[in-house]
Amino acid sequence: MAVDTLFAPATAAPSRPSPKPTPRWRNRESLTAWLFILPSLIGFLVFTAGPVVAAGVISLLDWNLFSPPSWAGLRNFARLGPDPTFWSALGNTVYFTFLSVPLTILVSLALALLLNLGLRRVAVFRSLLLLPYATITVAVAFVWIWLYIPHDGLVNAVLGVFGINGPAWLIDDNWAMPALVVMSVWKSFGFGMVVFLAGLQAIPQQLYEAARVDGSSAWQSFRSVTLPMLSPALFFVVVTSIIGSFQVFDQALIMTNGGPGSRTTTLVMYIYRTGFENYDQGYAAAQSLVLFAFIVVITAAQFLLQRRLVHYDN
Amino acid sequence: MATRLSRRSFLELTGLAGLGAAVAGCSTGPPTGAATWSMWSSSPAEKKVWEDFSKYVEDQLKLKSVPTLTPSGGYPTKLDLQLVSGTASLVTAINGTLIPTYAARGAHRPLDDLIAADSDFDPDDFYQPSRRISSFNGKTYAIGFDVAPTVMYYNKTLLQKQGIELPSRTEPMPWATFRDLAIELTKAPDQYGFTCAPAIDDLVSWIYCAGGNVMNDDATRSILGEPEAMEALQFVIDLFVKDKVTPPIKNLVTENSSSNFMQGNVAFMQNGPWQVVNIRKAKFDWDIIPFPAGANGSTPRVSGSSFAIPSGVREGADLDLAWKLLKTLTSTGALDIYAKAGRNNPARYSAGSAFQPPPDNLGIVQQILAGKVGGGHPFDVTTNWNQVKQLLGQDLPRTFLGQVSVPDVIAGLTPRLDVLMRQHQDNIRQATARKG
Repeated sequence: MAVDTLFAPATAAPSRPSPKPTPRWRNRESLTAWLFILPSLIGFLVFTAGPVVAAGVISLLDWNLFSPPSWAGLRNFARLGPDPTFWSALGNTVYFTFLSVPLTILVSLALALLLNLGLRRVAVFRSLLLLPYATITVAVAFVWIWLYIPHDGLVNAVLGVFGINGPAWLIDDNWAMPALVVMSVWKSFGFGMVVFLAGLQAIPQQLYEAARVDGSSAWQSFRSVTLPMLSPALFFVVVTSIIGSFQVFDQALIMTNGGPGSRTTTLVMYIYRTGFENYDQGYAAAQSLVLFAFIVVITAAQFLLQRRLVHYDN
Repeated sequence: MATRLSRRSFLELTGLAGLGAAVAGCSTGPPTGAATWSMWSSSPAEKKVWEDFSKYVEDQLKLKSVPTLTPSGGYPTKLDLQLVSGTASLVTAINGTLIPTYAARGAHRPLDDLIAADSDFDPDDFYQPSRRISSFNGKTYAIGFDVAPTVMYYNKTLLQKQGIELPSRTEPMPWATFRDLAIELTKAPDQYGFTCAPAIDDLVSWIYCAGGNVMNDDATRSILGEPEAMEALQFVIDLFVKDKVTPPIKNLVTENSSSNFMQGNVAFMQNGPWQVVNIRKAKFDWDIIPFPAGANGSTPRVSGSSFAIPSGVREGADLDLAWKLLKTLTSTGALDIYAKAGRNNPARYSAGSAFQPPPDNLGIVQQILAGKVGGGHPFDVTTNWNQVKQLLGQDLPRTFLGQVSVPDVIAGLTPRLDVLMRQHQDNIRQATARKG
């Protein structure tokens, strides 16, 4: 029966042998697809995966860049524990992330909602609001240094109008990091705004009409329709913003150089100094791997959470 | 006539174009046998000087000169990457504070054998501080092209307007007189008595004048906490915080004493003769005087820059060319070009006359270097000076803001500085043990 049926073709009279199926990767469409992704793949392997592997190897070496390296084993990782600067830089980076990511998302979302109201000349506003994101951080950082000048800077001048005596932002222990956060939010909200706007425009209008028929208020519609439907975009922006915040470097380097004291010394800045100013490549690579692991763990946790919080169905 | 391009042809053409671009990108190096050298350059005027240097090299060596000019901020990183990848020029410029850092790590080769074998080269024509700055661990690693002590710039117009007698051109004024004058000339927020950068580079001049230093003679421990250094630190910090004779600090990163001075409302500025070229644009009359004298006299920081040969330069024809190029770049003729452009005081006695006024009193720079007026103290640095500077740059500026006291900062810094001094000693031991 079943067995007979199974073996029947093998024992049956010889017929034309069936052609061996072409492996999927060798068919024309697959090859074309590979060809298209090849430049990106080469870029990823050479400029991302390669350096990660190289950092792994270098972290096990004592290497001052100029002399031949020597084997260090796990010594560079052991140095992290008693290094107060490393922990303070990590703390500063986490502080920056906790402040900047929620603020960036709030501002981006608010502006995207505003632009989605069907205002006239929305394309002009969208382009203007995207400008900070498209501008080079170095240039923006120098402009913000001027804005933050204690006595005659624009920020304190505006605060002065309301009777507020603004602090010396970039040289004040307590205000230097929030000042960097404000600048970073201003610089990066455009990206989130565009992603949110695309997400908002993809939400079917029938859902809002159904909600209206059910008697939902604007807030209820936002909570029950907009937010769930926008959750994939929200998830994407949260993940990329957190990764970006952990890698904060240029604005801190230019605006405060890590000061006052080490209040704004971020982890990437410390890694850069360790590797390229102190010529301690092994230790810098060890720090980089810890940062990498940190980002991987946080991103993995976000991906686990998205199963419960993100809705991909229309 | 339009021709249809098939997908295959398009991909072939794209591939060929990519290959062509890659080949072109890989073949932009200097021609073989060229005299390659690297230098920082951040302005068109500076670039012009190095282009003139390049012409001089070509005239002297009858070879193509290929200078690689990089803005000063990015120069060290670019140099590092070139040294590591074996693509560095035959001769590279180095700031004097980094010579021990590079030498201890084997990035540049000692020059003593080349100097000894070359009877044409006269090391005695170079100012002693320049020779000291260019040496590490008893060996010469570089040849200087500029060297100068820190001096005090003053706004003649402002002093004359206030009816204050102009300071002596040769006799350094005592610190107490300087402080009184700075207080008298301060009418905040319109006019200030003094400006300097809130950083160790400027503080060391006061420390040296008080008889102190950042570290002891053997560089085995920090002596910033000893009375001489403490007195100097307190004196300068008081000028900022207590006497308030300085313009308010707006930002610790971009604080710039020369831009403060150029406003025309600051009486005195601490800076080096390398700023002469910029201050010449001032719209007021100004001059320079020796640095104020502390307990140890007027012995401010003397700093300079040099040319060196990377260790990667192969023995034989390449090294011969590198040495010839190094000699040409530091020759009297080349340094005349540099000094005539007003860039800084040349490192050679024989080129000194090319560094001409204004200001009227520019001649004191060479008199100070020769020990005829006041004196100078070569900038003492370690093989991990970047780390020392980072550490001092983190905490010391907070004293200028009055956020912490000098004794508290130094008490916190000293143990960490001592750790860095031990690392410095390890670096010296490793450098000594390294072959060649």
